[in-house]
Amino acid sequence: MNLPRHALVLLLREWRAGELRILLAALVVAVSASTAIDFFTSRISQGMQQQSAGFLGADLILVSPNPVEPGWLEKARTLGLRQARTLEFASMVVAGESFQLAAVKAVQPAYPLRGRLRVTDRPFGRERQTADLPEPGEAWLDARLFSRLKLQPGDSLEIGDKTFVARRVLAFDPGFRMDLLGLTPRLLIRLEDMAATGVVRPGSRLSHHYLFAGKPDRVATLRGWLQPRLLNTQQLIDVHQGRRTVGAALERAEHFLGLAVTVALVLSGVAIAMAAHRYSRRHYDSSALMRCMGMTGGKLLGLHLLQLLLLGLAGSLLGVLLGWAAHWGLLWLLADLLPPGPLPHPLSPLFTGLLTGLAVLAGFALPPLLGLRRVPPLRVLRRDLQPLPTSAWLVYALALAAVLLFMWRSSGDLQTVLVLLAGSAAMLVPLGLLSLGALAAARSLGSLLGSGWRLGIDSLWRRRGATLAQLVAFGLVFMAMATLLLVRTDLLESWRDRLPADAPNHFLINILPDKVGPLRAFFREHGIESSRLYPMVRGRLAEVNGRPALQAVPQQARNHNALHRELNLSWSDALPPANRITAGRWFTDADRGRPLVSVEASMAKALGLEPGDRLGFVIGGTPIEATILSLRQVQWDSFRPNFYLLFPPGVLEDFPATWMTSFHLPPEQQETVSALVRSFPATTLLELDPILRQVQRIMGQLVLAVEYVLLFVLAAGVVVLFAAISTTLDERLHEGALLRALGARSRQLRHAILAEFLGLGFMAGLLAALASEIVIAFLYVQTLALEPARHPLLWLLLPPAGAFLTGVSGYLGTRQVLFQSPLRVLRRT
Amino acid sequence: MESSEFIVQARDLGKRVPVAGGHLDILQGVSLGIKPGESLAVVGESGSGKSTLLGLLAGLDLPSSGTVELAGEDLGHLDEDGRARLRGRYVGFVFQSFQLMPTFTALENVMLPLELLDRPAPRSRAQALLARVGLAGRTRHYPRQLSGGEQQRVAIARAFATEPAILFADEPTGNLDTTTGEQVIDLLFELNRERGTTLVLVTHDSRLASRCSRQIRLHAGRLLEQP
Repeated sequence: MNLPRHALVLLLREWRAGELRILLAALVVAVSASTAIDFFTSRISQGMQQQSAGFLGADLILVSPNPVEPGWLEKARTLGLRQARTLEFASMVVAGESFQLAAVKAVQPAYPLRGRLRVTDRPFGRERQTADLPEPGEAWLDARLFSRLKLQPGDSLEIGDKTFVARRVLAFDPGFRMDLLGLTPRLLIRLEDMAATGVVRPGSRLSHHYLFAGKPDRVATLRGWLQPRLLNTQQLIDVHQGRRTVGAALERAEHFLGLAVTVALVLSGVAIAMAAHRYSRRHYDSSALMRCMGMTGGKLLGLHLLQLLLLGLAGSLLGVLLGWAAHWGLLWLLADLLPPGPLPHPLSPLFTGLLTGLAVLAGFALPPLLGLRRVPPLRVLRRDLQPLPTSAWLVYALALAAVLLFMWRSSGDLQTVLVLLAGSAAMLVPLGLLSLGALAAARSLGSLLGSGWRLGIDSLWRRRGATLAQLVAFGLVFMAMATLLLVRTDLLESWRDRLPADAPNHFLINILPDKVGPLRAFFREHGIESSRLYPMVRGRLAEVNGRPALQAVPQQARNHNALHRELNLSWSDALPPANRITAGRWFTDADRGRPLVSVEASMAKALGLEPGDRLGFVIGGTPIEATILSLRQVQWDSFRPNFYLLFPPGVLEDFPATWMTSFHLPPEQQETVSALVRSFPATTLLELDPILRQVQRIMGQLVLAVEYVLLFVLAAGVVVLFAAISTTLDERLHEGALLRALGARSRQLRHAILAEFLGLGFMAGLLAALASEIVIAFLYVQTLALEPARHPLLWLLLPPAGAFLTGVSGYLGTRQVLFQSPLRVLRRT
Repeated sequence: MESSEFIVQARDLGKRVPVAGGHLDILQGVSLGIKPGESLAVVGESGSGKSTLLGLLAGLDLPSSGTVELAGEDLGHLDEDGRARLRGRYVGFVFQSFQLMPTFTALENVMLPLELLDRPAPRSRAQALLARVGLAGRTRHYPRQLSGGEQQRVAIARAFATEPAILFADEPTGNLDTTTGEQVIDLLFELNRERGTTLVLVTHDSRLASRCSRQIRLHAGRLLEQP
């Protein structure tokens, strides 16, 4: 016989009869969820890889806060590498009454070594590539700067003491960096104009970038030569780290999306297993019949496998299409976080989507179907004959293999996968036992209730096997949903910055020493209440108790930021507000000029520092040593100038310093800010309001994206509920018909159904609360780097929510028990 | 008994099943031969072993002792797949509970055995057979949309679709009222005559049995009379 044709014909007949809907729905949900995320992440990561050389504008970049030794650049020259130098810094840009903080990049004519700049002639005009650079005296600005400064091309603007002509709109700069600084509008000028701006002074926060490009082996040689010579404050960035330049927020979002997809896949798998189980049970008779008609076991199996394959292909294709459509939604939601420029269109998610679908189906649907091969033909005469069960090991091994396979595919993170899997597995045995106990308790309780309710609870007990399976399935669904919901909420809270109403909303940094007096006068004149002015000296932590700092701190602290960058050192005679001494004592007048230091408590804890330890700093090449006198707890979200390291007055005064302060200014006093910027052009004003708004907007986008993906999980959960309900539907229909034939009233039956599902949902909710707590605790600590928290509300809300959800869907799913003619049901079986 | 003159031949059949605390002999020492074109009724009370005998003769199950030859092949020498092939080639079934595929229309149910055996033109043959059993107008109906008598007529059409040499019927009227049952039986015998099929019929209805050319009676697993 022509097996494929038959398989197709049989499948179409089954489909028409509505036998395959749940199976297909589960498959489509699984495939579309994974494909959407796969498309999204692979397009972004491939886009990053393709563009990362262009991103950097070079093959290798050396970043340093100070100019590097000429010998290093000479080395690059002898290796035959092309090079260019840029200087990056943040500065206020003023045009007429408007001003704006911008990320300024001053470049040499050779820039960029890789990739091309893209420009437009007017804001939001047509983009084109260009090999040109701004002429001396010109600036290229991104479109946001044009609009915020109310500029037209050809207008003039000021950076520090120099006036520039805003010539073109900078649409894309290959040196673009995906970090918070990347949120600041960008501006490109020529390096030779720098001196005239007067912005660069000793102590200014500058970043010198040395760009290299050339043959890969030469670049590697330079890299190897530079690596051991780097100072802690210098770093090398190469093409392979392109991915690392993605914002941490995007990475976290991808992590969460992967997690959500994993959950959707597992839930869909459960639904598929249940639907396939029901499918195979309902096909015992027809399989026996076909065997009567001369079909061999092998052919019968082949027929079902082919049907499964066809169904898998159809469902996966549909899922892939839906997933492809859905990924546009994600791209749209997360538009601000994506790399600039067009993204590639990889085809691989199409195939992995198809494979995922087939793998899920094989893992979950194959085991129950294998049993059909062994249906004894005698079943046509004796309905009680069951096929020999497929080996339990085979069943679990297949399902487990499938789960692991696509979990790993979807998240690429084995740890999360294992935690989730272990959480689910750990849930099974004890929860199974717990459920049995709860069931027994409910049964004795049920005897106190009306006959309908008692019937329902009794039937839960009689169908213990099915009840346990449903409990675990529902428990899993609720656990997954609760976990994702809580993770989402806690992530949000940890992301969201809360700003007190009158907290300082402006920071003024890079205040030169000779401007401190005039600035105080300005504040007085305009009635601005600022926090104190604090000096800042930049220095590196080099030694702890006489040993090199990297060796002296505990192993796990060696990556601590404080050891790898220049720190802001400040001094003060008074303990700043929002600071509290937790160990030792604050400086007294007698401490003036003594080499003492107060350290922020969390940093001290991380580095293993205690009062009495000696810290060695290097400031502009000069070493100084200070003994820790106290540890301070700092309330960082007070939005005041806060420092990790504070010295008493009289220690750091000889080093070049800039000053900083913060103040609150209501939005209606913008002219005052304008005047401030004009009077003190070299200082840098950070306006927190727009930055916070932008951060919050991005967080809002992330949350939307996360919720978008949660829809898939919800869909998978609903499919599981219905699949689970339909597994016992036939039995229920038959029992219901019998009961009605024996005189049960609709009300009793309704109560029985409600009792069953409410009870089931309540118990599943309890189990889910327990399992969620365990899984969340692991996830927070291991994967998401969040503080673990307990969730008492979970225990209060999940059981009733579970009862409600299960009650409603159970009632809807089995309502026909109430309305079907008992005769028809009984005759059918 | 010469084996060549029988299409089905059973020798000293026994079927023993384990029960709590021992075993139960459902059939003991049953020998019989069925000639081509013959119609044989197996009668007896409930539990006398009629359906078990039918299952053994049709190769749906294996005896605990004794042998069954179907179309010259010893069923005991074939594995389950071999017996399935033999059934496909020679045997048709009609069951008490009809055993129609619930997700197939009447037409598709009749087409199924033809499709399984790759017979040509399954649709037109099935349509002709349904017309023959008086259901030309119900070809697109699903089993649940048909009455019991109609369902059994679909099952009969299906049984004759592959033109089997021998037809086994297990209580074909057991689920039908008297009038409908009579009509179904009339149809069964008519088709049996038209196509020269051998008919083996299990029933406890003596009127039905009397229409067969031969009757055997089972009592407590033993053959009582064999005219």
